[in-house]
Amino acid sequence: MIDLKNLTIEQAHDSLEKGDYTVTELVKTYLDVIKEKNSELNAYLEVYNDLDSQIKKAEEMFKDGTATILTGIPMALKDNILFEGHIASASSKILGNHVATYDSFVIKKLKKQGVVFLGRTNMDEFAMGSSTETSAYGVTRNPLDTSRVPGGSSGGSAASVASDMALVALGTETCGSVRQPASFCGLVGLKPTYGAVSRSGIISMGSSLDQVGPLGKKVRDVEIIFNVIDGHDVLDSTSIPDSKRELIKKEPLKKRIGVPQEFLQGGGINEEVLKNFKESCEKLKKAGYEIVDVSLPSIKYSLAVYYIIMPAEVSSNLARYDGIRYGLLEKADNLFSVYTKSRANGFGREARRRILLGTYILSHGYYDAYYNTAIKVRKIIKDELLEMFKNVDAFVTPSVPFLPFKLGEKLDDPLSMYLCDIFSAPANLADIPSISVPSGKNKDGLSFGIQFTAPFLREDILFTIGKDFEKLV
Amino acid sequence: MCYSISMKSEDIKKLADLARIDMSENEMQEIAKSFDSILAYVGQVQEVSKLNDQKSLEKNADDYFLNNVMREDNVTNKSGEYTDKILKQAPDTEGGFLKVKQIL
Repeated sequence: MIDLKNLTIEQAHDSLEKGDYTVTELVKTYLDVIKEKNSELNAYLEVYNDLDSQIKKAEEMFKDGTATILTGIPMALKDNILFEGHIASASSKILGNHVATYDSFVIKKLKKQGVVFLGRTNMDEFAMGSSTETSAYGVTRNPLDTSRVPGGSSGGSAASVASDMALVALGTETCGSVRQPASFCGLVGLKPTYGAVSRSGIISMGSSLDQVGPLGKKVRDVEIIFNVIDGHDVLDSTSIPDSKRELIKKEPLKKRIGVPQEFLQGGGINEEVLKNFKESCEKLKKAGYEIVDVSLPSIKYSLAVYYIIMPAEVSSNLARYDGIRYGLLEKADNLFSVYTKSRANGFGREARRRILLGTYILSHGYYDAYYNTAIKVRKIIKDELLEMFKNVDAFVTPSVPFLPFKLGEKLDDPLSMYLCDIFSAPANLADIPSISVPSGKNKDGLSFGIQFTAPFLREDILFTIGKDFEKLV
Repeated sequence: MCYSISMKSEDIKKLADLARIDMSENEMQEIAKSFDSILAYVGQVQEVSKLNDQKSLEKNADDYFLNNVMREDNVTNKSGEYTDKILKQAPDTEGGFLKVKQIL
């Protein structure tokens, strides 16, 4: 019997190498848990039918001595990551039968390592949501309390790891969609630097914000996956070239972390969350970190900026779904009606809302007031953060202002759902890396998360602080 | 500060037409209502642009994206290499073409 509850990548690799168990046995153990738990949690939309050949390849790598740290590691994939020959639907009806015609960059990289992809996980439709409730394929439940949401949009990926239905998972972020479900499910979740991981083969939502990010139980697991998927890719024009990566000087840590006080005060933080955050800061002090107040006057506008830029990019990205080249086609008398009917029936309510919001924001007469202004404020926020990073290694906030909420609680009030992302937005807007690390549980067993955000391409700082913090919880 | 905008369902109808989405009257009303609170919230960005010095605001959105990535215009795959795979994803095809309703 393999103890999945505390299993890490390094431990699993060690056991596979020593022959304590085989890849077949490891995968079988996860499949047994999926069989037992998935009907209640709905974390997976599909378990892939080619596991045997994936396992065989991994076992051969162990036999011929080419195995790496990730060989045979069972991983779950968010439903918006293209894996050739497998359905990738972004949990939308409009892509319900869409089979990926090529591998995304991250899959290519991980395939080489012999990772075993167990299946695709549920998500908010086109990653639009913070609770995995906007999926066209039912809600996912939080394994820590099944009456509550797992967070989102990568809620299925988070729930799969938190319930031992996968050792690790990939999610994607546009604004908090890895970090927030990680926090809600008691996991570690990383949003890498924009351009660190290629977006090639990821179903787009907000192209200037999207990034793929790993989820795991420990910082080290997330670091191992990041190190493999990080890298330049010619197929993504926003991927950071090596020449630019080499310019980053990895100076030693100052061991100083900033707390943006005004931002926290305006964040609508729940009392329990604030108390946990203050305790976490005390723990960091004991571990030798200096905690200082930092002033970021414009950071409080981050979420407003995000909810202008994202729908603008959504309305443009989702224009491609017209029922002609792939996905759902609704028959009608003329081409215009084919479009309007296919899009009406293919997209869910939140996707329709955001497409219209973006259409409005980009329309003549409103473009300057919204989009153009938001782009400028985005630059101001980025500049303020750059200035702050001269004095601190990272800044810290709670990952989410409140604890996991009940299913349905925020579904009818879009603005209150959007406010889940308030502490997530700065990292996505400023292209910088950010990590959520578990910071304890409340008396009902719900999980708190603490979030560290570091300068451009300094994921290493997040891993160092994250591992130090992990030891204290 | 208040950025109150009152959307009507006619305004939403116009947007839905532009975005090519059929929409029921009920949904248009619901969206109009949610837009009022969302637009009031995102309208805050106008405050910060007033507070900051004008120099950083003179630039246009495009100035922040001036980073073209170029490559030689070479063909990188064999002719027809992906045709079958891609056409298999299309809901309606005929003789290697995508089929659409008559346009003219």
